[in-house]
Amino acid sequence: MNVSIDTSYKSLNKHHEELCGDKVEILKTNDSHILILSDGMGSGVKANILATLTSKILGTMFLNGASIDECVETIVKTLPVCQERQIAYSTFSILQIFNSGEGYLVEFDNPSCVFIRNEKLLKVPYMERTIENKTVREYHFQVQLNDCFILLSDGVIHAGVGQVLNFGWTWNSMAEYALKSVKSTLSASRLATMLIKACKDLYNDIPGDDTTVAVARVIERKVINLFTGPPTNKKDDARLIHDFMEEPAARIICGGTSANIAARILNRKVKTSLEYTDSTLPPIAKMEGMVLVTEGVLTLSRALALMKYYVDGEINEVFFDELDKENGGSMIAKRIIEDCSVLNLFVGKAVNEAHQNPGLPFNLSIRMNLVVQIKEAALKMGKEVHIKYY
Amino acid sequence: MVITVCIGSSCHLKGSREIVKTLESLILSHDLKNKIELNGSFCMENCLKGVCVKINEEMFSLVPNNTEQFFKEEVLRRLSDECNQL
Repeated sequence: MNVSIDTSYKSLNKHHEELCGDKVEILKTNDSHILILSDGMGSGVKANILATLTSKILGTMFLNGASIDECVETIVKTLPVCQERQIAYSTFSILQIFNSGEGYLVEFDNPSCVFIRNEKLLKVPYMERTIENKTVREYHFQVQLNDCFILLSDGVIHAGVGQVLNFGWTWNSMAEYALKSVKSTLSASRLATMLIKACKDLYNDIPGDDTTVAVARVIERKVINLFTGPPTNKKDDARLIHDFMEEPAARIICGGTSANIAARILNRKVKTSLEYTDSTLPPIAKMEGMVLVTEGVLTLSRALALMKYYVDGEINEVFFDELDKENGGSMIAKRIIEDCSVLNLFVGKAVNEAHQNPGLPFNLSIRMNLVVQIKEAALKMGKEVHIKYY
Repeated sequence: MVITVCIGSSCHLKGSREIVKTLESLILSHDLKNKIELNGSFCMENCLKGVCVKINEEMFSLVPNNTEQFFKEEVLRRLSDECNQL
């Protein structure tokens, strides 16, 4: 199965709390993706410590091949005991999806995972087992392309309880809403953002509990080939274009001269638009066989800023509105963020002398720097990245 | 007549957007939409002389401030020459 797993999560902190008592870990092994969500007892610092310890212990042990029995035993024996309640407690869900398509889920006291397949909610049979006096549910299944898994903390199904809704959101209504949202979103991050926004609304912006959704979507392995910058030696033009065109991929060209090189070697036309969808970026262009052709460093700088924000910032609907804009920078960032599992960068190292002009209001001689930062941001998103220089 | 304005990085920073806007409005106000095709192009490989603008294949170097002058002296003159020849 040539699939990739797109994962993302979002949390709301209980009102007035600086720390979240839910914790998500996303891990990658050589042959699998692991998503862990734990919800520590109470709220604030204590809950945060319990949840962090739980997810970290589970993650580290799982990565090293420990069985679930060993993991649970370790957690029970390690978690600090709460003074008020005299117990050590944190819920957890662990979802592991292997590249072979095999899936494993284990849940302890969290609301059940929402499984979505072929636009329907899927009931997966489970086995209950008792380990160290704790009853866990284990699911074994085979994943399919476009499957979607949503792990949640109880703050999600309780959203709005006693305020907007008598009994809160409930698992069933939440699952129905998730089902609809899956259809209208591309990526895990957009789905997580949409679900958490719904929770926030139900809570009237005052969450009564820590609230977390973690999403894993099974997607096709999607490759993007991005060409930017002319090669240092003109004689390498043809070699670069050959490499750039070789593998099946969505192809993007960033750079006027780069586009002209591709046009010359492939004998295709660059059709530039004069529509300024963004006043600070040059318009985009079209070329047969390319999903996108844009100007170079200015557009890439914009794309990088969006990618960095996505990696480090607090993303919400406003961010996605920006990402949906029809300017070159947003279009590149959206492709890389939401529609890519492998990013191949084909980078020419030639320097444009006009760009060395100190009179220009922007430093244009930064392509190399940009490319390295784009690689770093994409790696942080969990993409596979390759760079070839010419 | 085809006018092509470079919208590459360097020319963009030197004001090609303003030049495009000015030319668009001048073409409209002189009612020349049928006679002039306005295009954009990525780098014309003459960045040091930007903003690069071509009338057919002839290259000019513009700044936003002299766009109107360019339109009158180069564009309109050529159009009237063409008319006289007919």
